Amino acid sequence: MEALTGFFAAHLPVGPTLALSLAYAVCIGSLLGFITVYAMFAIWMERKVAAHMQVRFGPMETGGWHGWAQSVADAVKLLFKEDLIPRDANKVMFWFAPAVVFCGVFAGFVAIPFAVGVQIADVNLGLFFIIAIASVEVVGVIMAGWASNSKYALFGAVREAAQVVSYEVPAAVALLVPVLIVGSLRLGDINGWQEAHGWLVLRNPFVIVAALIYFISSLAGCKRAPFDLPEAESELVSGFHTEYSGMRFSFFFLEEYASMFVSSLLVATLFFGGWTLPFVNVSAMPVPVGIVVLLAKTFFFIFVQMWLRWTLPRLRVDQVMSLGYKYLLPWGFVCVVGTAVFEAMGWRWLPV
Amino acid sequence: MGGIREYFGNISDALTSTVKGMAVTWQHFSKEPPITVQYPRARLAVAPSYRGLHILEQAKCIDCKLCAKACPVDCIEIESVHHGRILEWQKFTIDYKKCIFCEFCIPPCPKDCIHMTSEYEMASADNEHMIEDLLTWTGLRSNDRREIEAADAKKAGKPAPPPPEGVTAPQPGGPAAGNPAPYGTVYTSTFAPGSVGAPGGAPRGRRGAAAPASAPASPASAKPAAAAPAAPAAAPAKPAAPAGPAAPAAAGEDMAAKIAAIKAKLAKPKGDG
Repeated sequence: MEALTGFFAAHLPVGPTLALSLAYAVCIGSLLGFITVYAMFAIWMERKVAAHMQVRFGPMETGGWHGWAQSVADAVKLLFKEDLIPRDANKVMFWFAPAVVFCGVFAGFVAIPFAVGVQIADVNLGLFFIIAIASVEVVGVIMAGWASNSKYALFGAVREAAQVVSYEVPAAVALLVPVLIVGSLRLGDINGWQEAHGWLVLRNPFVIVAALIYFISSLAGCKRAPFDLPEAESELVSGFHTEYSGMRFSFFFLEEYASMFVSSLLVATLFFGGWTLPFVNVSAMPVPVGIVVLLAKTFFFIFVQMWLRWTLPRLRVDQVMSLGYKYLLPWGFVCVVGTAVFEAMGWRWLPV
Repeated sequence: MGGIREYFGNISDALTSTVKGMAVTWQHFSKEPPITVQYPRARLAVAPSYRGLHILEQAKCIDCKLCAKACPVDCIEIESVHHGRILEWQKFTIDYKKCIFCEFCIPPCPKDCIHMTSEYEMASADNEHMIEDLLTWTGLRSNDRREIEAADAKKAGKPAPPPPEGVTAPQPGGPAAGNPAPYGTVYTSTFAPGSVGAPGGAPRGRRGAAAPASAPASPASAKPAAAAPAAPAAAPAKPAAPAGPAAPAAAGEDMAAKIAAIKAKLAKPKGDG
């Protein structure tokens, strides 16, 4: 960001304010483009993964090679669809809800380091910022559910609120573990620490459990199966976005895949070394290598999320709550305490 | 104590069952090729005894209308003019809106000339297209015409020529009351693989797949214009009739070739597009 601002200020006949705005515009535009392209790819990937796990083909026609353009076609279709607003809906809320939902996730991307220095804002409370801003999404979901004036949407929104708020606690507790070891909330620092000391999952057994807990909680936070109660098709049509169609619906869709990306990227960054690789000094290589490594890890975890989605049946509401509060949360605390003990005693589990 | 056991049992159950389930889905994902086929381009093989669209060996047919009488839903309509043994075909239609594919029309046939194929694609946007004409030619073929003319000339030499014998009025399929009741008769399906004629697919031509190869230039002149009204709208799309002087033998060969071609097409194993 600063580098970009400096570049614009130096090379274009603009003042510092304009240079800053230009830099913002470029960053936001590229980020939006990235999220859109990524979401289309992820939707296609999800459909292919789902199909092949069910011994089918999935999209095969559009675009030629294995239907690669199916999502592009779907996106164009969604953009051109009629914009329906239910007659008794609260129009302002209905209007704003998708924007709020998407902004919550989109803002999270700002603090994500894709490689050394490839970051829009190097927030020193980056992890905290991402967790906090991701919670804004719940507000948008409740707005959408309430404004739709539909029972299905309202139930979906209520479930979503209960679930996301519940699972933020174990997720945050699990994220405390790497923070405890590294001593920083800045994602770049955590990455750099792993470069020097090895991946955090290998640090001690509690970190493995913490990674698992965070991964499960992030599934719930993204409303992915088996925690897709807010969108339970068999009960709630499609949950809080039942009444949405066309472009507004596509924002919810985009948000789901974007939040999958953020949570997978957090798993990769915090526990699995980010852009580092064992035995290879990625930092010494050109920046794109680091980006590719990080994206590869991220897509691996996205794939695991899809894999889980097409493996597990949906949980009941009470099971979701008991998993969150009776299993994940206590074990999260156990992990924090255990890691603290390990670190205080200077123990190592593996010789790394 | 039991509670604690249950608690840890739940955890291990959840983990093991998830891992097991993921192993199963991974098996599907990585090992098994899709069992579905990309339908318009690849097809599943149909059972040899499949009861699909009909096919008529018109050269063998004697217009006895037993198939129409046997039909429980009266979907077969046959019209022809008899010139002695020679038939001037008007129509032999099956209304696939009514047909229930019961195969009751097959066993009564004394000449074994109507068969069911494994062709199943009959979707159409137009009701008219659901009435399929099984005839490969209508009216008289040229050698039949010559034969009749010769006979007529012979008759004309006589003092009192009788009218052309047996000009049967078009009859719709007989009502159930007049049926010779094929229901009680024991019959074996004519579609055991290798049986005469029909087991393969159809040279039926809505898609016209087999048409170009198997219908060598047979000019439209083979169809007398007088018979045209009887043919449904779908007729022009059919493979042109194997008509001409050498008709009967050629028709038989042609049919066999068509059936072989379609059989080969249908027997192709499912591909994965």
